[in-house]
Amino acid sequence: MSASLSPRVHGLLSLAAFAVIAALATGRPELALMAAPFLILGGAGLVAAGQPCLRVEVAVERTRLLEGEVVAATVRLRNEGARAVDVDLAPARTSQLVLEPSGSLAVHVSGNDEVEVDFTARAARWGAHALGPLRVRARDPLGVAVWEGTLGPRVDLRAFPREQRLRELVAPIRTRPFLGSHVARSRGEGIEFADVRPFRVGDRVRQVNWRATARRGALQVNDRHPEQSSDVVLLLDTFAEARDQASGTLDSAVRAAAGLARAHLARRDRVGVVDFGGTLHWLEPAFGTRQLYRIVDALLASDIAFSYAWRDAASIPLRVLPPGALVLAITPLLDQRSIALVTDLRRRGCDLIVVEVSPFDHIGPGPSASDAVAYRLWRLQREELRARLQALGIGVAVWTRDGSLGPALEGVNAFRRSARHALPV
Amino acid sequence: MTLLAEIALVVLGGIALSVCLALLPGAPPGRRRSQPPVPERPSQLVALERLAITAGSNAVQAHAYLRPRLVEIASHRLVAHGQTLDRMPDALGRELLGDRLWEIVRPERPFPADRQGPGVGWQELAAMLDVLERL
Repeated sequence: MSASLSPRVHGLLSLAAFAVIAALATGRPELALMAAPFLILGGAGLVAAGQPCLRVEVAVERTRLLEGEVVAATVRLRNEGARAVDVDLAPARTSQLVLEPSGSLAVHVSGNDEVEVDFTARAARWGAHALGPLRVRARDPLGVAVWEGTLGPRVDLRAFPREQRLRELVAPIRTRPFLGSHVARSRGEGIEFADVRPFRVGDRVRQVNWRATARRGALQVNDRHPEQSSDVVLLLDTFAEARDQASGTLDSAVRAAAGLARAHLARRDRVGVVDFGGTLHWLEPAFGTRQLYRIVDALLASDIAFSYAWRDAASIPLRVLPPGALVLAITPLLDQRSIALVTDLRRRGCDLIVVEVSPFDHIGPGPSASDAVAYRLWRLQREELRARLQALGIGVAVWTRDGSLGPALEGVNAFRRSARHALPV
Repeated sequence: MTLLAEIALVVLGGIALSVCLALLPGAPPGRRRSQPPVPERPSQLVALERLAITAGSNAVQAHAYLRPRLVEIASHRLVAHGQTLDRMPDALGRELLGDRLWEIVRPERPFPADRQGPGVGWQELAAMLDVLERL
């Protein structure tokens, strides 16, 4: 802890100097006597002051919570020195972690004594929030010397995003030959009826369609679509975001990504994540509950990283984008690099969906009349961009803050049915 | 009398200094809590806000920077009418887009001869956007 003199010492010395100068100027020794108490007080404080020996422990009710939830925390402050100290405690705060009581906590700790301070913390936003080490400012009882520093262990609160609950998902065009919940285009063992065809050696009796057989006079069997799983890659655009004081498009994007990951993993799909922005992070596709926790942990670290570096689809490792994977790009379409990426991926034959997190919920028109005109022009330009992406066969789901993601994805399914000619086969 | 005045002076001085002592700060003032940073506006929108001003300054700004954007938007909007900007007859273009907007987005529009000629002011641009939004 770094030691310094309190401003009170400067004040005491100033007052003493003033009294001495006044005594010299007026030739009255009584005034010099008045300086003596200040000098004695300051000197006594300096002599009595000693480096405090403080220990801080932070106990939190739990370290994993959902955004918006509140946890109780206790700071245990132990003074291992002989002298009493006044201490101001300030947990390391971020704007996303709201503490109650707010501000610094002032406590008095006697020598060889211990005090406990209780407070609550509310995670206003998802992410990993550091609660501690605490900033500590200790003063001796006379308020002459001050020691400042950080004490205590680092305690991370991991606030998970509140997910979008999704019932309908975008059906992938290609599937993997493993059991899942998507009706495949191919034919094989399954539930969904596909066609009737003549009997071939090896067909099972239970596949025979007796009505069609009776009508045609030869054995006919039913073909079915198998239920298979697919590979899904969530592409999170962290190049830029639109943000107001309360929230931003990245917040919504992470919620959407967590919800999509959970829904696809529940359908036995392999899910991977690519955090595509100023820095590139990825998680290879895998399945299961463990993968869900990995994905959510990876999403908590997502942040907008400003960068001038140009990145394109070649920056993404091939093993992260398996052939035939359904790529869900969650983006506000605010950066030219992310627009170029989705265009590039589509031109490479990727089965691609864009979940456009609308920036209009967070950004309004500027104050002047010309700004309002520019805002209208921006809206029209984004509509044109959306139409350009759809012309390439990219389904675009526009997700606004007030709406649910499910209906937007249903709109994409309808688009993919009508734009089948533009999609990869 | 003089002694009494001196005693009174010392007492008053002592009281004044005691008040000063009580008013002294006991600890360094805490750092002022910084205001939350004002979120940045998207660069796309900032560029358009700048363009809405500069397009009115001269004809080159309007032709080189504003026109391509209006052409893209008009082309997209005209698709709903089964039209393409490249093959649109002059009369139909004027009918659908209005004289001023058609003058800006028509395919064979030459580079302005007078570089310092009038551009497209934001009021005029607002009127053009009215037309595009109605399409």
